[in-house]
Amino acid sequence: MDNIIEIKSLTKSYGKKRGVTDVNLEVKEGEIYGFLGPNGAGKSTTIRSMLGFLKFNEGSIKILGMDSVKNRNKILKEIGYMPSEAQFYQDMRVSEVIKFASDMRGVDCKEEAKRLCERLSVDTSKKIRELSLGNRKKVSIVCAMQHKPKLFIFDEPTSGLDPLVQSEFFELIHEYVKEGSTCLLSTHVLSEVKNHCEEVTIMKEGKVLVTDTVDNLTRNNAKRIRVTTDGKIQEYLYDGDINELLLKLQASRIEDLTIEEASIEDIFMHYYSKEN
Amino acid sequence: MGTLYIHELKRLMRTILLWSIIVGVFGILCIVMYKSMESEITGIADSFSSMGAFSDAFGLSTLSMATITGYFATEVGTIHGLGIGLFAATLATTILSKEEDLHTGEFLFSFPVSRTQIVTSKIFAVVSGLLIFTIICAALYEVGFLISGDSIDMELLIKFYGMQLVLGIEIASICFIISSMSRTNKLGMGMGVGLCFYFFDLMARVIPDFKDYIGFGPYSYANASEIFANGEVEIKYISIGIVFIILSVVSTYVIYNRKDLAS
Repeated sequence: MDNIIEIKSLTKSYGKKRGVTDVNLEVKEGEIYGFLGPNGAGKSTTIRSMLGFLKFNEGSIKILGMDSVKNRNKILKEIGYMPSEAQFYQDMRVSEVIKFASDMRGVDCKEEAKRLCERLSVDTSKKIRELSLGNRKKVSIVCAMQHKPKLFIFDEPTSGLDPLVQSEFFELIHEYVKEGSTCLLSTHVLSEVKNHCEEVTIMKEGKVLVTDTVDNLTRNNAKRIRVTTDGKIQEYLYDGDINELLLKLQASRIEDLTIEEASIEDIFMHYYSKEN
Repeated sequence: MGTLYIHELKRLMRTILLWSIIVGVFGILCIVMYKSMESEITGIADSFSSMGAFSDAFGLSTLSMATITGYFATEVGTIHGLGIGLFAATLATTILSKEEDLHTGEFLFSFPVSRTQIVTSKIFAVVSGLLIFTIICAALYEVGFLISGDSIDMELLIKFYGMQLVLGIEIASICFIISSMSRTNKLGMGMGVGLCFYFFDLMARVIPDFKDYIGFGPYSYANASEIFANGEVEIKYISIGIVFIILSVVSTYVIYNRKDLAS
């Protein structure tokens, strides 16, 4: 499978302020790729460098096999981007915004837009200024999807969406991916990565902490240990030799012991605490 | 690019109509007032024309306010000049920065259009706005002439409107630079640019020694009293104006293409 996104040694700084340092990322065709990290980890900076909003200092970005700087317009034709802030022109109606988005791409998306509006229950007659954050997000989803792009880039797409719309949104992503699209899902919601992504990159303070498949990350040696000794409950992650752990535990009187696979939440916290 | 140009023009239209109608109606009132003041204005005109530097500054020494041409140049000419200057500053100072200021930037920048195309569409929209302003104002002044039954040489009027349009474009072009550099609304700064040019020109006319230092702005070639007095435009000053416009527009493209765009 070809790489749809290929980022090599990306570095972007904002003067003295940290941006991202030496970010490497490869997203293969047809996958839903998780881009995980708390606010300020550098996910948006990476995405905004990919889209040409930011001029990065070092490294290279290839999207759909093209250089992101030299072929920005060609690349953007094939991308459906949903920013974390779903802001539109306040005095326009939803229908006008959706039409403006398709006109700017020079494609007729009427049918697909209608289908998406029905699926997401978007009221196209309303003015943007009358919409809540959740409803603005729905308009943003329609604008990002209506031209059936080859690559979706979603930056924290589900904040403000109710659970029903969230579920419909992910269903739509899976349908497009089945038809051949690829998706980069930037989020800090761990369950979204666990439920929908095959591979994930975890970012922290502008650097890549780890890149692996979700399966591998959750199937690694790390175990969640819950032990009750002398009336005290202790809970932690352990990624060493399990025999050594048992020997250590034998030193005290064990009242209860649970050893289970670590969840993605545990893995995430594990990497974060390890770094700290 | 056409889509973005139309989109911008639509977004500006309410402002364009508001400014055009306010300035145009002021013009009509001035023209209609002339008729009612015609009998007393000769005395006023004589005293205004003998006030030395003040008369020179407002062109009252070369044009008589007792004639409709002189009255139009000094009254409507001043209102129109200030109006188009401040209107140009209003449109141009916010035209680029509003995308970042109102957080619509990420929506706009995610379309397959280059920053050069974005700047071009927005500049064309502002220039179209200035043209529409000029046409509406000119039409409303004609309504005033129809009501009062007066008339002014059409060739002089066209020259006046043309120079005022260039004045607007020059102020707008400088404000484009402000807009390309800022991420927030710098309307006050843009208005300041327009007012500075007006007052510099006024000072240069009251104190002739200042003429070479501060008297080269857009109001130097678009001065109504000079246009209506001799029908000529100072080529030197309009050339400086055109150079200013070119340099400012090129700078706008360069700055906007290099900057990091905020969400």
